[in-house]
Amino acid sequence: MAQDSGGPGAVDKWFDRAKPTYRCVVDPTHEISSLFGWVNVPSAAWIDENGKIVRSNEGVYPAETTVGFGLGKVRLGDDSFAEATRDWIERGADSEHVWSSRELAERLKPVDDDRLLAEATFKLALHFEAVGDSERALKHFAAAQDLAPDNWNYQRQGWTHKGTAYATLQILRRTSDMRKNTDKSFYDPTELPGENFRRFTEPEWFWTPAVRRVKQLLRR
Amino acid sequence: MIILANGKTNEVAQRTDADGALWVRLGELPAATGWQMKPQGACLGELCVPLPESQRGEWIADADDWVWLNYSEFADMLGQKYVRDGDVWSLGSIPEVRRMGLESAVAPDFEVTDRNGDTLRLSDFRGHKVVLFTWSSW
Repeated sequence: MAQDSGGPGAVDKWFDRAKPTYRCVVDPTHEISSLFGWVNVPSAAWIDENGKIVRSNEGVYPAETTVGFGLGKVRLGDDSFAEATRDWIERGADSEHVWSSRELAERLKPVDDDRLLAEATFKLALHFEAVGDSERALKHFAAAQDLAPDNWNYQRQGWTHKGTAYATLQILRRTSDMRKNTDKSFYDPTELPGENFRRFTEPEWFWTPAVRRVKQLLRR
Repeated sequence: MIILANGKTNEVAQRTDADGALWVRLGELPAATGWQMKPQGACLGELCVPLPESQRGEWIADADDWVWLNYSEFADMLGQKYVRDGDVWSLGSIPEVRRMGLESAVAPDFEVTDRNGDTLRLSDFRGHKVVLFTWSSW
C-alpha cells in the first residue's frame, strides 16, 4: 500500500520498478495508518483467516533502503521480518512470531485526545493540499505535526508539501538530532531475532555527510 | 459544506441559520459520517448510541424542510475530535470504535482502489492470510 498524498502519479514508477505479484493500492488520505495506529512507513500487519490482527505496528525495514538524491543505499534493517512473514504464512498460529494477546494489547495502544485531534487536522491538511490551497494545507500540516510530534507520517508527508529535497533535509536533521539527544525511535522496535531496525543503526558518518549533501543540492 | 470522514470527502447541505455548529441532515448522515439514525439511537455498525433524552429536542431540529442532527454536539458526547476551516469539517476517529477494535483485535475494515481501478475491501480477503505493508515515495 503506497501511502502518499500524491496518489498514483507519485508512486506508479516505484510500483512499476518493483514488478509486484501482489495487490497494490494507493492510500492518498493515510486512512489505513489511521485505522491501524501506524506512525511511519514502512509499517505492516499480519491478519489471519478470521480477520484478526496477529502482529502489527512495528518498523519493518528491509535489509537495504535506497535514500534519494544520490545518497545511496543505507542499511536500516535485515531480512528477519521477511523470514518471519514466510514462517507465519506456512505455519499460521503455530509460528513463534505470532503475538500473544498480551503482546498485542501492548502494541495496539489507545491514542490520546491530542493525537485524535491531530488525525482530524492532518486529514484537513490533505484535503487542502488536494484542492491546491497550499496556504491552508501548510497551516494544518503544521498544527497536526505539533499535536503529534512522534507521528512521522504527519511530519514527512507535511514536509513533502514543500518539496522532496526539503523533506529529505528535515528527515536527516531530525534523525541526526534524535540520535544525539534522545533514545526515541521512529517506531516501536521490531521484536525479532537478528539485527532488525531498532534505533538509529546508521552511525554519524552517514547522517552528517548526508545532511551536507542535501544542503548542497538545495542551494543549487 | 464538505465533511471529511472515514477517508471520504462528502459534500452535504448546510443549515442556513446554523450558528457555528455542524448540523447534518439525517438523510445525509450515513454517507457523510457513517452513522445512521435508528429507533434505538445513532448506530454505526454494531455500535448504537442513544441520544440523551434531555438533549434530544436541541440536537434534532426541523429546518429548511429537512430534519437535522447537531453532529458537533453528538461528536462531543462521543469524544470524537473534529476541526473546521471555513466550509470544510474534518472528523477524527471515534474513541469507542477504536477501543472495541483494540479489545477484539479484529482488523478494521477499509475500502481502497487498486492500481487497476478495482475497489478492494479488506473483508474481501476473509478466509485468507493477509500481509498489509505500507510504503511511500517520501
